[in-house]
Amino acid sequence: MIRREFLKAASTALGTVTLAPWILETEAAAAADVDAAKSTLAGAALATAKRLGAAYADIRINRYRSESVTTREQQVLNVARNQDFGFGVRVLVKGTWGFAASSIVTPDEIRRVTEAAVNIARANAAFQRKRVSLAPVDRVTANWRSAFEKDPFDVPLDDKIQLLLKLNAAAMKTTGVSFVSSSMVWVNEQRFLATSEGSRIEQYLIRGLPQFNVTAVSRETGDFQTRRSLGGPQARGYEYMEKHPWEAEAQQAGDEAVAKLKAKSVDPGTYDLVIHPTNLWLTIHESAGHATELDRALWWEADYAGTSFLTPDKAGTLRFGSPLVNIVADRMQPTALATVGYDDDGVAAQRWYLVKDGVFVDWQTTRDLAPLIGRKKSYGCLNADSWGSVPFPRMPNVSLEPGSANTSLDELVAGVEKGILIYGDGSWSIDQQRYNFQFGGQTFWEISKGKIGGMLRDVAYQSRSTDFWGACDGLGGSSTYQLNGSFVDGKGQPGQIGVVSHGCPAARFRQINVLNTAAPIV
Amino acid sequence: MLLTEAAARAITDKLFGYVTADDAVVTAFSEDYSHLRFAANTFLTSGQRQGATARVTVWIGRRRGSAATTDLSDAALKQAVDDAQTFAKLAPVDIEYLPTLGQQTYKPGQGYLEATAHLSLPARARQISDAIAQSEKAGVVSAGFHQVSLVARASATAHGNFNYERGSTVSLGMTARTPDGGGSGSFRRNHFDVGQLDTARIAREAIRRGVESRGARALPAGTYPVILDGQAVADILTAGAFSFDARNADEGRSAFSAAGGATKVGSQIFDRRINIVSDPWRPELSVFVATDDGVPAQTMHMVRNGVLETLRYSRYWAQQKNRQPSGPLALIVEPSAAGSSIDEMIRTAKRALLVSRFFYIRTVDPRSASVTGLTRDGVWFIEDGEVKYPVRNFRFNQSIVQMLASGNVDLIGSPERITSSEDSGTDPVLVPALRLNAFNFTSQSDAV
Repeated sequence: MIRREFLKAASTALGTVTLAPWILETEAAAAADVDAAKSTLAGAALATAKRLGAAYADIRINRYRSESVTTREQQVLNVARNQDFGFGVRVLVKGTWGFAASSIVTPDEIRRVTEAAVNIARANAAFQRKRVSLAPVDRVTANWRSAFEKDPFDVPLDDKIQLLLKLNAAAMKTTGVSFVSSSMVWVNEQRFLATSEGSRIEQYLIRGLPQFNVTAVSRETGDFQTRRSLGGPQARGYEYMEKHPWEAEAQQAGDEAVAKLKAKSVDPGTYDLVIHPTNLWLTIHESAGHATELDRALWWEADYAGTSFLTPDKAGTLRFGSPLVNIVADRMQPTALATVGYDDDGVAAQRWYLVKDGVFVDWQTTRDLAPLIGRKKSYGCLNADSWGSVPFPRMPNVSLEPGSANTSLDELVAGVEKGILIYGDGSWSIDQQRYNFQFGGQTFWEISKGKIGGMLRDVAYQSRSTDFWGACDGLGGSSTYQLNGSFVDGKGQPGQIGVVSHGCPAARFRQINVLNTAAPIV
Repeated sequence: MLLTEAAARAITDKLFGYVTADDAVVTAFSEDYSHLRFAANTFLTSGQRQGATARVTVWIGRRRGSAATTDLSDAALKQAVDDAQTFAKLAPVDIEYLPTLGQQTYKPGQGYLEATAHLSLPARARQISDAIAQSEKAGVVSAGFHQVSLVARASATAHGNFNYERGSTVSLGMTARTPDGGGSGSFRRNHFDVGQLDTARIAREAIRRGVESRGARALPAGTYPVILDGQAVADILTAGAFSFDARNADEGRSAFSAAGGATKVGSQIFDRRINIVSDPWRPELSVFVATDDGVPAQTMHMVRNGVLETLRYSRYWAQQKNRQPSGPLALIVEPSAAGSSIDEMIRTAKRALLVSRFFYIRTVDPRSASVTGLTRDGVWFIEDGEVKYPVRNFRFNQSIVQMLASGNVDLIGSPERITSSEDSGTDPVLVPALRLNAFNFTSQSDAV
């Protein structure tokens, strides 16, 4: 009820041009409990699955809305809204999964699709080697909303366009900037889950991805350099656009893109690195986030995303990093992208350590993974990117905890004789077992005798996951902590996109191999 | 159920019935998709998805707006058009607006086969069970993915163009690992014709590579001659560092930009035997023959005998530069003369590393199309024409322009239909195996 009133008020305030309401959004937002109409539709799936002999079934009836605004310089390239609505039914027959989905959301289609899911499971069950079993879960009825202040779908389009064009103008102020592109993407997920075990869960999630890229071209030399935005995607509303200093960052990016053209190309070698959270989040994602996925450790991803250097016998024994390193999985952190009330198994969001005092201690699990290592409960990591996708294990928010002393970035730098300070994520690559990685960045600054010096370019750091984390000898305090993340984390077959955040402080790493990535231009 | 041409036309007509804007392009897309995934020698997930999407882009006074919906009811289609028109009224003038296409002529593609649509659930389950049985017999642990993708797509414009196409793809990829984790091999293929997908061969080849990669030795990082399997060539060439986009080149931000504001069109940039072509009608490729906005495909030589002959133009940039707009890209890399087989490449090699597959390839320097990534699922040391022993994996940092340059390309194979092992398996290219004189491996990887 509160939500409906907010929408009405917002519509009045928006002025002369407002967008048509999204009928189901309004209905969902107004519901004090779960949506009765969807519960009725879900009943058709669950009854059909039971009649056909499924031991377990669930149905997700989901609506996804997205809006994007894309610009370059002082042009708007596109404004688009997408709406994607449908349902997916998952059944377990003779210990074998079956799934089917459709964009036609009617009782007859739901019954037909449920039967198709059962037929798939039965056809495969005849050849199945190992039967699936599920860890128990509490039955729940819930309605959950993510932590946002201002629904971006209620904000006038013109406000968004003007913000991006101002940002572009700020970047172009610097002499030598040739191009700038910018965009913002907003996503709203309206999820409904009903299970044959009695859970009924409705969730409303908002997230946004603002970004820009500034290019400086030297036509004389044929050289060009770019500087991308540092502010990453977040599960926030339009308040993110209003509170983050986008214009100032764009102007700084313009200055830095031009400066990169004349920056000193790095001498390859070993350096102490001080890494800003805008870069380190991606290293956490690749080396710790994916490495602690239990499905990878059990070789479920062997054909595509790969396995893991962490194996089931190593939990509790393997030294992952220095004793300073504490890495936590968290699906409850406000404004983080993988934060939910409940996962697609209906398991409540949780927080737990993956690495404690430098030792690898635990996994990311789902209901069908947990029993395989003798666990009686799931950590709630099941997720699908669409109503038409099979839910499968996805990463929670995985973050490095700040140091207990409130060390500043400058204090970390002060402890470096010869090193490099790195901001922003650039090129990234890691092997299929998460040992060997290489990361670039956006800007690089020479550190000499504890002081930040001139700009460097063509920098990438390359290391082995446990060597790198073992070399961590300094963590910034909570004042240096930031959340960044990915809007497009790919995994699985068929491929799905995940969204996930990684929080971390600035951190220092000793004696890391640095490459020069520039190749001669033929 | 895929949209028939009549059903698709009914949707595009209905959308136009709601359009009051000056100009519009609409599309109706439908898919029928199914998969079976297996790992640890057992079935994991299996499912199917049927859906359709209507998309509309309009211009009002050269102002542009777009919307899409998966709900094809009259009310939802009208809502999508209304949303797009609302956005267009709010948007600034699109200075790159061009009137949508009038009626075009399309040479039909051949990439849809009913037989692929009719692969039965029990037949698929048995094929994959047989692949697992082969794995069990060989003492390896396999993971893989079988999929069938059927799509139908119609696009229409306010100026009278209409195009309808269907496509089918069936693919199987499999990775076989030895139980001790010391060996891993992979093989994957796809086709539009289910009868051309040899699932037994795919399983057999993945298992062979897995078994033969066990006991790999560590070699120091450095520059080595290599034989890149076609899969590795597909992986590195489709990884995104390599774009023929004319606008980027003209604007000075491409590997094909030259000093002084020029481009490298007309320059000998690759080995004289290298040809890079776009041709969606090649019988082995058979992909879509129109872009989403209706531009018909052409057979294009981007690189002929190593010379950069032309770049690819969007409609807007083509109009700015007085060129023809480019249709969809259907990538083919082929030698000027008959290609060499992998066996011949091995037999005649003095010393080389045979690379099966690349992984996690990312651009590190767009100016030279330099990428980093890793080898995966089988590297072997070749000496005096024989495979001597498996080698542990490497990270590489390599310019693709230098990789294909004169003096670095030694032998070129015959093109095969392959998809990148990092994409969805439904975007095929025709590429050959390559023997190269030098490839830069920059560090060792412990991964297997």
